[in-house]
Amino acid sequence: MSETVHAEPPLIAGAAVRMEEDGRPTLIGSECADCATRIFPPTALCPECMGEEMSPVPLGRSGRLYSYCTVHVAPRGWSVPYIAGYVDLPEGVRVFTHVVDAAERQLSMEMEVELTTAILGTDGDGEAFSSYAFRPRQPVSDDA
Amino acid sequence: MRDVSVIGAGMVRFGKQPDKTLAEIAWPAVKQAIDDAGVSKPEIEAAWCGTALGGMMSGQRILKAVGLTGLPIVNVENACSSSSSAFREAWIAVAGGLYDVALVIGVEKLTRFGGGTLPLEREDFEVAHGMTMPALYGMRAKRYMHDYGLTPEQLAMVAVKAHDHGALNEDAQYRNRITVDEVMAARPIADPFTLLHCCPSGDGAAALVIAADSVAGRYSGKPVRVLASELASGKYMTGFRDMTTPEITVRGAKKAYEMAGVGPEDVDVAEVHDAFTIAELLYYEALGFCERGDAAGLLEDGETSLGGRIPVNPSGGLLSKGHPIGATGAAQMVEIVRQLRGECGGRQVEGARVGLTHCTGGGISGFDHGACSIHIFRN
Repeated sequence: MSETVHAEPPLIAGAAVRMEEDGRPTLIGSECADCATRIFPPTALCPECMGEEMSPVPLGRSGRLYSYCTVHVAPRGWSVPYIAGYVDLPEGVRVFTHVVDAAERQLSMEMEVELTTAILGTDGDGEAFSSYAFRPRQPVSDDA
Repeated sequence: MRDVSVIGAGMVRFGKQPDKTLAEIAWPAVKQAIDDAGVSKPEIEAAWCGTALGGMMSGQRILKAVGLTGLPIVNVENACSSSSSAFREAWIAVAGGLYDVALVIGVEKLTRFGGGTLPLEREDFEVAHGMTMPALYGMRAKRYMHDYGLTPEQLAMVAVKAHDHGALNEDAQYRNRITVDEVMAARPIADPFTLLHCCPSGDGAAALVIAADSVAGRYSGKPVRVLASELASGKYMTGFRDMTTPEITVRGAKKAYEMAGVGPEDVDVAEVHDAFTIAELLYYEALGFCERGDAAGLLEDGETSLGGRIPVNPSGGLLSKGHPIGATGAAQMVEIVRQLRGECGGRQVEGARVGLTHCTGGGISGFDHGACSIHIFRN
């Protein structure tokens, strides 16, 4: 039986995230060649005009936190508690994400956040998995 | 389209019944609705069964138990709106003249999944990234608190009111009264929600018999007219959306009021989809019971409690009566039918003439909700 050893926990976001050579992640959406609709995660069909010429498009690495909440109860596998959030990117795309490197009390609506990756849980075999996540762009203070 | 009325209503007390099959949970509700209507089984021409997670042929399994077979049976899945959607399909068939009498069932057995949050569709991108229903509503609540100054205490009051009403309903899963302090001190689920901000998991069933008005007089059941039967799916948006207003309910309410020829000021009693405390407040506004941002005031003033201007969820709602997903829409209708007949005893809304049910749900990326069904009734 062969064993695969991951240097980094595998990313679960599939084509929606790309790791750059410098180790930083980029979120990948798609853009319609016919009507310029941008969508995340990427799709093969434009839901606005049914165009099939969808090109991968890298999305901005920072955005604003639209809302967030700490999740204490989740299906098996997720490391709880975690902070769930929606981040609005400059391209007009809203992304569901985990918010890391901060406690909920250190976050605020419309706060600037930036893309990173994080270990988010373990799969059925007990192996850690990771995905993209966002964190505050400015250092957060403990007494915030 | 012909006028249609509900002539029979039945339900079983919601709760955890892990040792019963889906059919064993549902048949007493079906029998009660048929007996209430005073129809004989051969007069029921077709049946629709709403269930989200009941599995294949749920309607056939249930109707086998009551010996009502051979007729067309359609099973309907639309998440929390499953049985309200089933009702609408039955209404279309009767209003359109295809049948005179039809049966609607709503049923769910959530104990088969154990405890915890509702199992969502794993193919959905957000679900695969850790979205849960409490998290989705939690983010709505947090944004609403930020935008409109809603306080945690006000939010907790929704659950207190629900339990005050549910205590008066023998079909409610939870019949205990609770305090704001108890709500706020309960186990955290998804901020700002504790366990008591969230509807419980459970099993249950409800059923209705409907008939064309032209034949309703033949039966003993006291008819309650269906003024509007409305169903919408969510509008998929690729970009930003305002999470403090549920566009699917705003859109559906407008159409339902138009169809019924009434406005929100005419509604005497409503059953709305309070899966989480914040939801009830959002729906006061979306259904037009108050202006945007005024929901907490409406609640605090007692206007949505029994004795107020527009009592909401006299049954206890999803928070106290319970929320066996596929059974909920039909159970809301059972409550409104009983309210409009004046059969609700200690929780009766005096003089209620117009009642509304609102059932929405389905956590899918890019939608407020997958489905929303609104019905308006008059006695």
